Amino acid sequence: MYRWAEHTAEVELQIEAHSEREVFADALAALTDLLGGPRAAGDAAPVRRTVTVPPEPVLDCPPAGPRRDRAALLAGWLEELVFLGESEGFVATGLADADLRPDGLSATVEGVLGAPPPLVKAVTLHGLMFEPGGPGYVARVVLDV
Amino acid sequence: MSLVWCSMSELALRQLDNELWEIPIGSVPGMRVPGRLFADAELLAAIERDHSLEQLGNVATLPGIVEASLAMPDIHQGYGFPVGGVAATEEPDGVVSPGGVGYDINCGVRLLALPLDVDALGARREPLVHELSRRVPVGAGGRGAREGVAGADLARVLSLGPRALLEDLGIGTEADLELTESGGRLPEADPAAVSARARERGASQIGTLGSGNHFLELQAVERIYDAAAAAAFGLEPGQVTVLIHSGSRGLGHQVCTDFVKRMDAKLAGYGIRLPDRQLSCAPIGSPDGQAYLAAMAAAANFAWANRAAIADRVRHGVARVLGVATARETRQVYDVAHNVAKLEEHGARRLCVHRKGATRAFPPRHPEIPAAYREVGQPVFIPGSMGTASYVLTGREGSMRRSFGTTCHGAGRRQSRTAVRKSVDGAALRRQLEADGIVVRAVSSRGLAEEAPQAYKDVDNVVAVVERAGLAARVARLRPIGVVKG
Repeated sequence: MYRWAEHTAEVELQIEAHSEREVFADALAALTDLLGGPRAAGDAAPVRRTVTVPPEPVLDCPPAGPRRDRAALLAGWLEELVFLGESEGFVATGLADADLRPDGLSATVEGVLGAPPPLVKAVTLHGLMFEPGGPGYVARVVLDV
Repeated sequence: MSLVWCSMSELALRQLDNELWEIPIGSVPGMRVPGRLFADAELLAAIERDHSLEQLGNVATLPGIVEASLAMPDIHQGYGFPVGGVAATEEPDGVVSPGGVGYDINCGVRLLALPLDVDALGARREPLVHELSRRVPVGAGGRGAREGVAGADLARVLSLGPRALLEDLGIGTEADLELTESGGRLPEADPAAVSARARERGASQIGTLGSGNHFLELQAVERIYDAAAAAAFGLEPGQVTVLIHSGSRGLGHQVCTDFVKRMDAKLAGYGIRLPDRQLSCAPIGSPDGQAYLAAMAAAANFAWANRAAIADRVRHGVARVLGVATARETRQVYDVAHNVAKLEEHGARRLCVHRKGATRAFPPRHPEIPAAYREVGQPVFIPGSMGTASYVLTGREGSMRRSFGTTCHGAGRRQSRTAVRKSVDGAALRRQLEADGIVVRAVSSRGLAEEAPQAYKDVDNVVAVVERAGLAARVARLRPIGVVKG
């Protein structure tokens, strides 16, 4: 379950879920909702994309290693979905498969190709949270819009 | 001055003078310097409604920060740093923080002055706004965002900024470069420090406006406050101007994303503990700090090139509607950044000055001001909200003594996007603006509603505070007569 909380300039996503996997699925659903849902793609045929987090190393960024940083993984997950939307108009509609490891996530995402509205500039680490709580896990991410 | 204590946003503030308030060291655990805020009572009342003061205190925990974590009267809650924040850090302990610049590196404003007044523009106002909206692509990513100028060499743009567009494509003029902050180029730029994804995101976006609060506004000079400065800037009562507000687009967003994560992963190695991960940072002189400054400078150069390309498209629009001669005489007043970190001399110290939603405002006779403006001070542009007014200011001596040569950058939000959408109907707002004589071209009514005037503080009030504080002085007031929204 997700909700959007008040923030003066940006948008804050709050999630409560029964499992870690569900947190990632809810984050996908929330982003899809924010971007206008499958309506943004009209009647385009469904496609799938593979999403890996973290992606290829960026510049001198050290490999994630075995560190279990679910909050950073959640931010990275949303970043990849935002990038797919910006770069090829991919609107995610569902999580077909997810391999959640201590150090990363590989997922197959269902969606359609369209023209999602350009709302999200970046996924911030401000107040980032992913921890046990509520029905199982609670998470929070602030998006720069 | 007696100390006046009051409770704001769960933090105790004490009043230092009529426009300056302080959050003492200790208010937030780990503060190394106090937090200081320029405001009046009315603005304070708006500021206390969100978490901006806590964020101001958090910034005061950064290693190497000197004097104070500062906030301008347009401060509002951001992510990590507040928007409207200024932090200066000094080596050897000083850090550079990508969040202290923000995702939209070198977001800024450029003012163009047309050689005619609003009466002479007459009925051509609506066709001109329409033509500008047709020529300047809006939106972030997706449709409308990949219509950047053709043939631009991205590596040269990252190194040289708008000079690359001038030399390679004939976009802009030498005078435009002269009348741009830092000449439109930070020499520390290194294209190799910019990731492949950042290049991919930005490659086709040079000359595009972007979404959110970015805009292009057609204005008329409504009032002159300082005749000498206005004359130096080439501004007269009634004159038509165009204000361009945009930044480094997806390229800058990605540079910030890359380095926030990179520094976040290495914080423990530097022995740095922070109250918020978005404040992630690295020592200025470290390989990470230097790499960020090189990438940030490249993104800043990209942003100046972006605004130069937008200005070129504006001039083409002016040529089509008002004639080639009018376009040729459309001159750039100045271009100034409000999201950037720069290495500057202040007193005997060399500091890394982070300005996040804050504008450099150097006073008269500062050597970095273009010769044409040196006796009157650096131009500063303060966009108001849609439907209100914008201001042209000049930097004043007080800015060097009190705010590391800095003033405010806008009106500053006071209502969330969600809240304003609940109270404002985008279509009704469009009709109201048009009834007030403002031609509106906006991609969506939702986006229009989110930027409604009531979502922002009173720009007149914000500007009055920085003027009384001696940071900047009013030169002219501009009223909107047309707006193109991303």
